[in-house]
Amino acid sequence: MGSAKAALPWHGSTLLRRTVGVVARATAGPVVVVRAPDQQLPDLPADVVVRDDPTEGLGPMQGLSVGLHALTGRADVAFCCSTDMPFLHPAFVQRVVTALDEHDVVLPIARGHRQPLAAAYRPELAVAVDRLLAAGQLKPAFLFDECRVLRLDDDALLADESLAAADPELDSVVNVNEPADYEQALARPAPEVRVERFGVLAANGGRGPHTVRAATVAEAAEASGLSLGRHVVAAVNGDRVTHDGATPLVVGDAVTFVSADAGG
Amino acid sequence: MTAASDAPGGYFGRALVVDVGTGAGTVLPLSDRVLRDHLGGAGLGAWLMTELGPGGVDPLAPEAPLAFTFSPLVGTPLTTSAKFAVVAKSPLTGLLTDALASSHFAISGKLTGNDAIVVRGRCERPSVLLVDGDGARMEPADEVWGWSAAETEVALSERLGAGWRIAAIGPAGERQVHYATVSHDGRHAGRGGLGAVLGAKRVKAVAVRATTKVAPADRDAVLAAARDLRTRSRGQATAKYRELGTLANLLAFNALSTLPTRNFTAATFDQAERLAAEDISELRKVARNSCASCSIGCEHIYATKDGRTARVEYENVFALGPMCGVSDPDDVLAASARCDELGIDTISAGGTIAWAMECAERGLIDAPWLRFGDGSALLRALNEIGSGIGLGPLLAVGSRRAAERVGGGSESFAPHVKGLELPGYEPRSLHAMALGLAVNARGADHNRSGAYEADLSGDLDRLDGGAAHVAAAVETEDRAAIMDSLILCKFLRGVFTEPFDEWAALLRTVTGWDVDGAELRETAERIVLLKRAYNLREGWTPADDWLPERLLSEPLQVGSGRTAELTPERLRAMIDGYYAARGLDSTGRPHPTDLSPPHGARARPGGDNSAEVRN
Repeated sequence: MGSAKAALPWHGSTLLRRTVGVVARATAGPVVVVRAPDQQLPDLPADVVVRDDPTEGLGPMQGLSVGLHALTGRADVAFCCSTDMPFLHPAFVQRVVTALDEHDVVLPIARGHRQPLAAAYRPELAVAVDRLLAAGQLKPAFLFDECRVLRLDDDALLADESLAAADPELDSVVNVNEPADYEQALARPAPEVRVERFGVLAANGGRGPHTVRAATVAEAAEASGLSLGRHVVAAVNGDRVTHDGATPLVVGDAVTFVSADAGG
Repeated sequence: MTAASDAPGGYFGRALVVDVGTGAGTVLPLSDRVLRDHLGGAGLGAWLMTELGPGGVDPLAPEAPLAFTFSPLVGTPLTTSAKFAVVAKSPLTGLLTDALASSHFAISGKLTGNDAIVVRGRCERPSVLLVDGDGARMEPADEVWGWSAAETEVALSERLGAGWRIAAIGPAGERQVHYATVSHDGRHAGRGGLGAVLGAKRVKAVAVRATTKVAPADRDAVLAAARDLRTRSRGQATAKYRELGTLANLLAFNALSTLPTRNFTAATFDQAERLAAEDISELRKVARNSCASCSIGCEHIYATKDGRTARVEYENVFALGPMCGVSDPDDVLAASARCDELGIDTISAGGTIAWAMECAERGLIDAPWLRFGDGSALLRALNEIGSGIGLGPLLAVGSRRAAERVGGGSESFAPHVKGLELPGYEPRSLHAMALGLAVNARGADHNRSGAYEADLSGDLDRLDGGAAHVAAAVETEDRAAIMDSLILCKFLRGVFTEPFDEWAALLRTVTGWDVDGAELRETAERIVLLKRAYNLREGWTPADDWLPERLLSEPLQVGSGRTAELTPERLRAMIDGYYAARGLDSTGRPHPTDLSPPHGARARPGGDNSAEVRN
């Protein structure tokens, strides 16, 4: 790409910020970002755990090791993904992690390719990953050979109604490896989301709901003639209230804008 | 009557203590230290109740005092400062309660030459207490006994003549309904049953007439501050109150799954749209009013179906609407107007009736006519409360005591903390507010703990209560303690960016004290602690700092699919954090050294308070 993918701009935010936000929405546990030695990361939410990859050049298994160690004892399952998946949908993440059951790995085989960096792992696999790294076996396939892997092809993935409705083409696994991929991804229209405004923000019949295209809460605010700040906050799908404009949006989201001084 | 020569600016340095049984008034000197430590309003009221209230007193007994307290800012041109507090031991909670109201009674009451008027004793017959520069005296009020507070105000104004301002109780206060209000000009000191305390004394009304003036320490500085504050009060931070009023919360809270519905069995109301301010304001709003000395103008007056009017706030619509499952705006507005006529707190009335509706549907009480969603039943229940017939006596004591009588497990869904019914903020989806509701001295209340502000600020996750929520609960409780004591309207709070410093600056100009923001923070802690100490004296136990069982055992789901759950363990951890942050012991009790009042000798009305010492 010629530059770090994590910091690539994405609708006023960055690819990494988007990925972190989508994963956080889909999981209950902490989000861990593993960075290369001396890598500068773009702004992230304060509750994101950042861990350093001690060795450069060992590929995804090294990052997997650091991430799984960070989550051992803190989560039952870890969704591991790369930072360059701009269309990753929470429904995809949920489909994968909820399938783990008695397996050690849930490996999507989507759009004709194995997706080890859009897969679910049991955190305790960190020990096995370390052993393989020490043995110079740097490909995830070596790990899959020695644990219980559930493989989910397109049909199996889309058997989940929520995922089928939200991401029927499984664009979640589209990644951007080349500048042209990135340009193509950027050229896609932002997701359609539903916006509602309440109280004084709904002046002049502007309550809605309205449908706008927006990849972030800030874009949705702008499309609604609002600006997030001390007096204007938002909630995505009725969840926590935020004034973080970089909060990612996906197809089908409902964004509620309320006055920050809501209350008596 | 003039200010004591050594009184700080904005004060008279005295309280008038009246025995309404004899009409005799005595003066209680208020030292500079007492005033500086407690300011006025709720803070001064807490001190007066601690000093003058016999420990363990029945709130409805003659010897139980009730105070009208004013503030150093009253009478200045500072916007929203024309407010007063009514403070007493609550018949609803058995603990300290204070409630605020506003407008001309505050100004005239203070300009009788007193920082507080304390009422004790019991009249032989229904009476009105008159206070002006000549002191206190009683007059009969038999002809207005049974009338609404509004009717009483009109009648007494005509009888007494120009210049008198009146606070009165309605029929519910006379009947000692435990959540009866005291009101002035249609604005109620609503929570905790202060109207019942006055009613037990057979005091139908208190009338005050301004006969003096009080000078601020720096008049030019006060005028400059007033101009600045007035300009800021017209900005975006108060737009909500001007344009739609607090009812604007309704749809927003519904969207956020924090609109308590059908006695907290849900947090969204599928018919909320029918009650939305955004819609009914166009159809029904007939006026917008302001209190005296206010540049915000938050009062939105709506027309009822039968031609009357009702002041509409989020809390009365929540309590008489979604909380009872009632969606017809005609029914809700009529119920709100009826509460005003009776003189009862809409939140406690709605909460208690919602509890009774659930009891009736479960077969725990024999009232087949009482069902969620039935507006006629709501009105019938209100009338029975006001008249003392049917279910009235049961419902008149509030949901806690009513549940104790009915039993059958109904205690678990009685919607109260410390006996005070919960306001319209769902604790399961507002974890900072959940803590604020649990630990506040007044009980479940949104005006003494505004922790919902943090939940709705975007600074923390409202569904994941922890240390940040504890800090927010402490901070907002401290801010409320100061605003309720200065007194400034909370609708102004959004215009302050460094509130303690800015409030100290206002106080400096009025009093001449060298007070700063750090001192006001200490004052806030002192007032919060004093209220807790009062409650401890009156029988508070650690079990009182808790939430109803339903809220801790029945999770909800928000729109995203995420579970909104407040477990007992999480609440316990937050309460423990609150106790630690407040310097309390692990059971929520102040340490003995903190309980020693810094003011030395107890107050003695008419006596020499020169024994007071500064710590």
